[in-house]
Amino acid sequence: MAIPVTIADDSALSRKNVRRAIPEDWDVTISEATNGQEAIDAVEAGLADILFLDLTMPVLDGFDVLRHVKDNHQKTVVIVISADIQPKSVDLVNSLGAFRFLQKPLKAEELKVTLHEVGLI
Amino acid sequence: MKNILLTEDQRDALQEMMNISMGQAAKSLAQLIDVQIILSIPTINEASPDDLIEILNHSDDTWYARQSFLGQIKGEVLSLISKEGCDAMAELMDYDKPLCDAQTQELILELTNILSGACLSGLSNQLELKSNLNMPTLLTPSTNGKPNYNWATVLLVEVCFSIESFSFNARVVICLEENSIVSLKTSLDALLS
Repeated sequence: MAIPVTIADDSALSRKNVRRAIPEDWDVTISEATNGQEAIDAVEAGLADILFLDLTMPVLDGFDVLRHVKDNHQKTVVIVISADIQPKSVDLVNSLGAFRFLQKPLKAEELKVTLHEVGLI
Repeated sequence: MKNILLTEDQRDALQEMMNISMGQAAKSLAQLIDVQIILSIPTINEASPDDLIEILNHSDDTWYARQSFLGQIKGEVLSLISKEGCDAMAELMDYDKPLCDAQTQELILELTNILSGACLSGLSNQLELKSNLNMPTLLTPSTNGKPNYNWATVLLVEVCFSIESFSFNARVVICLEENSIVSLKTSLDALLS
């Protein structure tokens, strides 16, 4: 069965980059969210066993989403894809239970390697 | 009249590039001061030189610096740095306290260099358009009147860095002149295709 995946990013270009980087032979159903609240809604609706999450977003930011997921949906696998590469931001992301932190601009090969490493493909 | 309005796709791409550039800028500063910096969502606006002068309308609680850049894209970077929080920032950056005027000026110019430098170089690298940034100068009501801009329209790309624990914030506004907006649009289209 296809795995529900959500891409949460306020930038259409960035969502497209993630979509393109997802391996073609990976059986997933992709949904998109354009802010943190939509990302949480997607998780609640069961559309995000895997969540690709930006940090700098309107309404609720990625850190808020991570807190919500950590408290309520520990089975959701979150991979943060962000330009906020400050050491303290990366530490916070890790302490909030994200599986990985990938730096923007996202490289397709890096995503593939990461998905392998965490055993998703 | 040149067509300088950005399409929705161009705007989105520029915003994302600026987001990446400001992440690099914040990392540079965060490594110096070991404090997390909150990043804003970049904003993009067409504006007139009057709007630009409005931005520079002196407010007592802000330091202003400007830096021009030349090359395949041309314009100015304005940095607006809150006076509040500057003492705490100076301490983290190993300045001796209390700050004398010369040191305050040095601090503002150093912050300007770190933040606007990284924002502009990040943007021009991603656009593959070369530009060289000149040294920043501090704007004070006594040293300058209103800057004289001969542009009809500019594009303002703005980001804000803030630190909650000591109420510091810095706005960086990149102003692109008309011909540069045309180059920018061409470059964005090439990257989007």
